[in-house]
Amino acid sequence: INPEKGSPGAAEDMEAAESFIQQAMEIILQEAVKKATNVKEKVCEWRSPEQLKELLDLELKDTGESESKILQCCRDAIRYSVKTGHPRFFNQLFAGMEPHSMVASFIIEAIKTSQYTYEMAPVFTLIEDVLLKTMMKLIGWEEGGDGLFNPGGSMSNMYAVNLARYRYCPDFKEIGIYASPRLVMLTSQECHYSIAKAAALLGFGTKNVYVVPSDNRGKMIPSALCTHVSLQGAVPFFVNATAGTTVLGAFDPIDEIANICEKHNLWLHVDACWGGGALVSKKHKHLLKGIQRVNSVAWNLHKMLMATLQCSAFLVRDKSCLLQRCHCAGASYLFQQDKFYDVSYDTGDKSVQCSRKPDAFKFWLVWKAVGTRELEYRVDRALALARYLAQEIKKREGFRLVIEPEFANVCFWYIPPSLRNLPESPELWKKLHTVAPVVKERMMKKGSMMIGYQKHGDKPNFFRMVVISPQVSKQDLDFVLDEIHRLGKDL
Amino acid sequence: MEPTTGDLTDPLINHADGQLFLHEAFKIIVEEVLCKGTDVKEKVCEWREPEELARLLDLELREKGEPQENLLQRVRDVAKYSIKTSHPRFFNQQFAGVDYHSLAGRFLSEALNTNLFTYEVAPVFVLMEAEVLRGLRALVGWTEGDGLFCPGGSTSNMYAMNLARYRLYPEVKSQGLRSLPQLTVFTSPESHYSVKKGAAFMGFGMDNVILVKVDDGGRMIPEDLDEKIELSKSQGAVPFLVSCTSGTTVQGAFDPLDLIADVCDKHKLWLHVDAAWGGSVLFSKKHSHLMKGVHRANSVAWNPHKMLVAGLQCSVLLLKDTTDLLKKCHCANATYLFQQDKFYDVNLDIGDKSVQCSRKVDCLKLWLMWKAVGSAGLEQRVDKAFLHARYVVDQMKKREGFQLLGDPQFVNVCFWFIPPSLRGKEKNADYQNKLAKVAPVIKERMMKQGTMMVGYQPLGDRVNFFRITILSPLVSQKDMDFFLDEIERLGNDL
Repeated sequence: INPEKGSPGAAEDMEAAESFIQQAMEIILQEAVKKATNVKEKVCEWRSPEQLKELLDLELKDTGESESKILQCCRDAIRYSVKTGHPRFFNQLFAGMEPHSMVASFIIEAIKTSQYTYEMAPVFTLIEDVLLKTMMKLIGWEEGGDGLFNPGGSMSNMYAVNLARYRYCPDFKEIGIYASPRLVMLTSQECHYSIAKAAALLGFGTKNVYVVPSDNRGKMIPSALCTHVSLQGAVPFFVNATAGTTVLGAFDPIDEIANICEKHNLWLHVDACWGGGALVSKKHKHLLKGIQRVNSVAWNLHKMLMATLQCSAFLVRDKSCLLQRCHCAGASYLFQQDKFYDVSYDTGDKSVQCSRKPDAFKFWLVWKAVGTRELEYRVDRALALARYLAQEIKKREGFRLVIEPEFANVCFWYIPPSLRNLPESPELWKKLHTVAPVVKERMMKKGSMMIGYQKHGDKPNFFRMVVISPQVSKQDLDFVLDEIHRLGKDL
Repeated sequence: MEPTTGDLTDPLINHADGQLFLHEAFKIIVEEVLCKGTDVKEKVCEWREPEELARLLDLELREKGEPQENLLQRVRDVAKYSIKTSHPRFFNQQFAGVDYHSLAGRFLSEALNTNLFTYEVAPVFVLMEAEVLRGLRALVGWTEGDGLFCPGGSTSNMYAMNLARYRLYPEVKSQGLRSLPQLTVFTSPESHYSVKKGAAFMGFGMDNVILVKVDDGGRMIPEDLDEKIELSKSQGAVPFLVSCTSGTTVQGAFDPLDLIADVCDKHKLWLHVDAAWGGSVLFSKKHSHLMKGVHRANSVAWNPHKMLVAGLQCSVLLLKDTTDLLKKCHCANATYLFQQDKFYDVNLDIGDKSVQCSRKVDCLKLWLMWKAVGSAGLEQRVDKAFLHARYVVDQMKKREGFQLLGDPQFVNVCFWFIPPSLRGKEKNADYQNKLAKVAPVIKERMMKQGTMMVGYQPLGDRVNFFRITILSPLVSQKDMDFFLDEIERLGNDL
């Protein structure tokens, strides 16, 4: 090996490298951005796993491949990937394509740094701080607080649990939770499954998550919470309220829950990963009424507000460096105390991660580009579209709403003609349960759209339409209903 | 302004504008970050104090948006004041350099913007991740196994702890730790701090991370491990995991895996190898001996975003297990995501192996790079880094004022720079104090001048020394010479 020469693929020859990147970018812009957001193109190009393996030629070999082959690999990866920015992709709680966020993402990839210290990420450190402060203002924390960005909302929820535990007994950090009182977490039956995963990972055990029933609108019942709080033999220390549940899009009554938590000195965390977006809307922020009273909030900007994945904020109403004290390990190779700048700018010890991506930038650039008013308009529009969809469903034969939507989730059954005149009975539910999976299969194989379905409690499979993207319009929603009927009418 | 029903007829976002912005911004990224960022004639960093930088960036978020020209200027500003981690004279962390294939893979991952929880939403990447993990496991010496990509090596190390705990006491998932005996973890004081953070986070407590002695080179001493395990047992605790390190953060030491595996086999402990930094030696026929015995481990953490230059983040956890332990340990079976009545084989929905819900696609960057250069190309990269490190060490031995901590096993070269004023004064009472002050000043000077970036830290009773980590494929001997000259230039007057 000649140490003087660059390795293959890490070209010292800037021209060759630039040319490759330009070509790759052309493909990305054409195929993954332009075509992928074009309603005339397919949402997905379905292939079975066996077929796809063959098409992709995944095998990793000893020798490298030509540049043209690599570019073809890029094309293939795009072709067979689901176009999550397509106007008819409604499958998850993220959708659409925000170009400013995408530019921010590309910058982050090119700059390729970690956010643990100011010296390594001066710009991104300051940006994260400003974004968090602005979010806290929207929440209503006049005195401010603390926070950071995490690799996902599940992690943010886990941080809340960990902080609540640390506040309850800081000694747990050193001695662990052996021989401790039986600490229990309280949450609603509609909450995200990351609460259960948090209980398992953090050493509490899933049995020690008490599930509080929700009403028929999917909202936690405060009086039931009261009962659970007073149960013997266990020490409640943490309550998770959900602002925007995953399936129904329901909002727990935060004010009432806060009353109970304050009375019993419980940490109140709001999982607003999905519903937090309502806070930018004067018209809809009442859904999170009371949020200024809570101890911590998880809010995913990559959902309703369309930052690219991942952009998950964790915010805590604390000015005593609780986050730092709870998580720090004081590693001397990274957090030297004799640096030449103010080391309070080094945020790394607030995290349980070491290297951490500068995700806040993905949304800061969006906000700078469009401003709060436009963000508000987007949210209001998405919710107006959801209401429109609900109205259309009520007008159409064969479609039935599960509940009146409060947010952007529109849940409904499609009842094919053959089942429409059957009496309401468990037999009907059983048959209805088989409809959505077939319609889903057909829509994916056709590539015309993607919508999620699931069973829920004792309800048979129903569709969950999620309206997010400002690229979506009434026609797309009409199309969804028409298409479901087209695909399912023979069932 | 409240949207009326009429407004709902037209899409709100104008994609043509958006695509133009992408196009223009990309030109700036190429020019400012990729070209200038790798040019030795340009600075590594443009240092500003936080208050000044905040002013320059105009960070405030406002009611109204901005025109495209403003935004493009912002892109330029972000590029200007960010650290050029691909610069040939950036040696500050365990990542550096740039690989253009992985970069293309990273841009593509961002553009496709999807999550790796189900086959239906990420068909290409579910299959690709499996293939990459298979390839990495093969290098460890496993023909079967499990694993996944995690958001960083700290998470990988945590997963290993969780799996080891679950294997020993499956009921811990539902019952928690409080009814179990005290569990203890064993690691060296040179290991990464994520072992301790993980222990705290997962409820074990930092005190239950028992530190095992290391030798002069920073390698775990197996005899002491055995003793400490016996001691822990005699105190009524239940040792359950040894987390040893292949490539420690500061010194780059490799714990002796074969001997440690002997101890783990004897006591039936889970052996986890944190090879986040050193794992890439497995690509090198010449240097993989440093991890001899790794196939005997239960789990391996490995960060290709470090020595393989895959770009942050690219961290894997590899498992020898074939009993679906990962999924059993982590699953929650959410019915809205992991329906059992899907029309394809739902075993492809790997989301429940993770504690994350949404999980980024981190495999494409590695896969594309590996396809482009082949295992042979990655081997060359690793071997070259060793050669550079050897060159720097040889040069330091010839130059006055450079004192190595030891003979490096890996590509971390740790040394003190002793300015002329301190040379020969080792016996002075305040020698250590004065020496400790040298590195921080040189660091400040190099950053303010933007000529290069190198890290320093204390270790145990050794005062501040520099740690240069050499891994970038863009680096050449000229850069190594410059580095040595620059340290002298910046520190000679101290």
